[in-house]
Amino acid sequence: MTNLPDTKLPDTQLSDSVVANANEPRGMDDVHKNEEFDVEINGTLGKPFVDNAKMSSRKCDVFYGDKQAIFDVNIDIAQNEILAMIGPSGCGKSTYLRVLNRMNDTIPICRVTGEHKLDGEDIYAKEMDPVLLRARVGMVFQKPNPFPKSIYDNVAYGAKLHGLTNNRSELDDLVEKSLTRAGLWKEVKDDLQKPGTGLSGGQQQRLCIARTIAVDPEVILMDEPTSALDPIATALIEELMTELSAKYTIAIVTHSMQQAARVSNRTAYFHLGKLVEVNDTDKIFTTPEHQLTENYITGRFG
Amino acid sequence: MTQTTYENTDKIRAGLKKRYARERRFRFYGLMAIAISFLFLLVLLVNIISTGYPAFQQSYVKLDVKIDPAVLGVSKDATRDELFKANYARLIKKTLNDMFPGVKGRKQKRALKQLVSKSAAYELRDKVVENPSLIGTTQSFWFLAKDDVDVFMKGKIDRSLPESDRRIKDYQLKWIDKLMAEGRLEKRFNTTFFTAGDSREPEQAGIKGALVGSFLTMLVTMSLSFPIGVLAAVYLEEFAPQNNRWVDIIEININNLAAVPSIVFGLLGLAVFIAFFGVPRSSPLIGGLVLTLMTLPTIIIASRAAIKSVPPSIREAALGLGASKVQTTFGHVVPLAMPGILTGTIIGMAQALGETAPLLMIGMVAFVADIPHSILDPSTVMPVQIYLWSDSPERAFTERTSAAIMVLLAFLVVMNFMAVLLRKKFERKW
Ligand SMILES: Nc1ncnc2c1ncn2[C@@H]1O[C@H](COP(=O)(O)OP(=O)(O)OP(=O)(O)O)[C@@H](O)[C@H]1O
Ligand SMILES: [Mg+2]
Repeated sequence: MTNLPDTKLPDTQLSDSVVANANEPRGMDDVHKNEEFDVEINGTLGKPFVDNAKMSSRKCDVFYGDKQAIFDVNIDIAQNEILAMIGPSGCGKSTYLRVLNRMNDTIPICRVTGEHKLDGEDIYAKEMDPVLLRARVGMVFQKPNPFPKSIYDNVAYGAKLHGLTNNRSELDDLVEKSLTRAGLWKEVKDDLQKPGTGLSGGQQQRLCIARTIAVDPEVILMDEPTSALDPIATALIEELMTELSAKYTIAIVTHSMQQAARVSNRTAYFHLGKLVEVNDTDKIFTTPEHQLTENYITGRFG
Repeated sequence: MTQTTYENTDKIRAGLKKRYARERRFRFYGLMAIAISFLFLLVLLVNIISTGYPAFQQSYVKLDVKIDPAVLGVSKDATRDELFKANYARLIKKTLNDMFPGVKGRKQKRALKQLVSKSAAYELRDKVVENPSLIGTTQSFWFLAKDDVDVFMKGKIDRSLPESDRRIKDYQLKWIDKLMAEGRLEKRFNTTFFTAGDSREPEQAGIKGALVGSFLTMLVTMSLSFPIGVLAAVYLEEFAPQNNRWVDIIEININNLAAVPSIVFGLLGLAVFIAFFGVPRSSPLIGGLVLTLMTLPTIIIASRAAIKSVPPSIREAALGLGASKVQTTFGHVVPLAMPGILTGTIIGMAQALGETAPLLMIGMVAFVADIPHSILDPSTVMPVQIYLWSDSPERAFTERTSAAIMVLLAFLVVMNFMAVLLRKKFERKW
C-alpha cells in the first residue's frame, strides 16, 4: 500500500499544535494538567534500527476511517530478539502489532500505509499471500479467542490447515508438545475433547498461545499474553518466550514494566500513536532519553 | 462522603418496592399475552380437530356379490382385456337390487345404486382381473359407502327432521337400518384418505396426491433456496466490499423482496418460468421455483443476521493462524451461524409450505386426480387442496378439509421438530 497523495498529514498538524500549545501562556493549573503535552514528539529517539532486521516498518501510518491511530512509525525488529512494546492504553500498540501480519486487513475501515518488510519482502505487496504471511507471522490476541471446538482441535487446527503432520500420532505429539510448552498440558491432558471455550480465562490464554506456537511461526506477535495469568503461569510463558527466541523472533505488547524488563532485549515506548523511543531494554529502564518515556516508566502517568 | 453513600442506600431501598411492583406487573402482562395467544391456538385447534377427526373414519358396506359372467357380459374364459372392459357397475346394481327387492321408481332405484361409491365397480374389476377364478363364485366385499351414507353414519344427519329437509330420505333410512342390522355397514379407519388422490366423489378423495405434490415442491424449494440463500448471505456478509453502493442497492432490494405480496411471485413465475422457459405448468418444479423466489429473501436475511452475530474474534483466530478467507468462512463462521441459518430456513420453508396465492397463478389449482411421480407431473399441494375442498358443497368435503388442515399442521410440527433437532446438533457452547 502506498501513501495517498491527498491524505493530510495529521502528524505534522499535531506536532504543530503541540508546539503552539507549549508557546501559549497559561495558568499554573493548566500546565500541570497538560504536562504530558508539553513535550514534543519529534521522530523516534534511541535505537529503532538494527542490522539484522527480521521485520521492519518505515513511515507507518494507520487510520481507522478518518481517525489516525499510528503516526509515522519507523522501527526494525531484529532476528531472534524479543521486542517489548509498552505505552499507555489506547496508544496504538495492538494496532501496530496487527500491521505486522496484516490482521488489520480484516477491519474494513482500517487503512495501513508505509513500507513493511519481512526478511526484506514487502508484506503489503500484491505478490505477498496473506495466508502464508500469517502462517509465518503468528499472533496471540489480546482477548483469548479459542474456537468453540475441543481443546485438541484448537491446537491441532493450524497444523491440519497447513498439513504440517503426516499422521495422527504426529499430530497427537504436536498437540502435547505445544500444550506442554504453554504450561497447560497438565491441567487439560484428560480433557482434550472438552470445549476450549469451557476453560478459565487464563487457561484460554495459554490455549491460544499453544495454538499459535503449534504452527511454528518464524515471528510471534503477542498482545498482552499474560494479562490474565497468575505469577507462576506468567513465569512459565516468559521462560517459553526466552526459549523460543533462540529460533524465532518475538514482539510482545505488555503493560507490565517488570515483564518487559525481564524478557525483552529491546523495548519500544508508544505514546498517542507515535513511537517515542526504542532502545535496549536496560537503557530504557535506567536512562530513558525522552521525558515521556521517563514519566511512563516511573509511573507518573499511563 | 459516608453521608452520601448512606443516602444512596436509602434511596435505593425506597425505590425497590416500586421496581418490584413494576416487575410483577410486567410478568403479569407477559403471562396474559401468552394466555391469549394460547387461547386462540386452542380454539383453532379444537375447531379444526372436532370438524376434521371424523374424516379419518369412513363407512364401508359389505356386499355378497355373485360374480355372474352373464351379468358382466363375458364368457367363462374371457381374456384379461375383456374382463377389464366388462360391466361391473351392472353387477353391483344387480347385487343391490337382489338385496332390496321391490324398489320402485327411477328416483329410488338411483338412490339404491348410490348406497355404495362408484369406486365399488372399479374395485370389483381389479379383484376379478387379478383373479379370474372368482368368476362364477359368490364373494363378500367391503365397498366404500357413498358420502351421504357416510355422513349419516357419522351422525351429521338428524333423522328426526322432516323428510323433505333431509338429504337421506325415509326409504334410504330403511335400507341403512337393514344393512346395519345385518352387520353390513360399519365405520373403519379411512385408509383411502391417505392413499388416494383427489376425486370428485368425497368418499374416494384422498390427500396423497397433494401430500406428494407438497413434498416434491418443498424438495425443489429447499434444494434451490437453501444453498442459494446461504451462499448469497455469506457473500454479502463476508466477501462483498463494504460501503459499496452496489452492495447497498442489492441489500435494499433483498429487504424489499421479502415484503412483496406472494401473488406477485406467482405472476413472475407465470411470465418468466412458464411463458419464457417453458417449465411445465402445474408441476412441482414450477411451484418450487416460484416458492424459491419467495423464500430466498427470508433465508438471506436470517442467514445474514446469524453470520453477523458470529463474534469477529473467531474470524481473527482462524485468519491469524493462516486460514484463508474461504476456510475461515466455511470452517468456522458458517457452522457457528448454522442454528440461526436453519431457523430462518425452516421459517421460510414453513411459509412456503402453507402458501397458496402464487401457486394459483401457475396452474397448481387444477383438479389433479393422479399422484405425481416426478417434479414434472401435474400436481397440487396441500394448501391448494384444502382451498379446493373448502369450496366444494358436499358435506363430506367439509370434514376432509379440516382433516387435510390437520395433516398440514402435523407436517409443520414435524418440520419444526426437525429444526429443533438440527439446531441442537449444531449448537455450540461459547
Ligand atoms: N477496530 C477499531 N475501529 C476504530 N478504532 C479503533 C479500532 N481498534 C482500535 N481503534 C483505535 O485505535 C487506537 C489505538 O488502539 P489500540 O487497540 O491499538 O490500543 P492499545 O495500545 O493496544 O491499547 P490497550 O493497551 O488498551 O490494548 C485507539 O484510540 C482505538 O480507539
Ligand atoms: Mg491493545
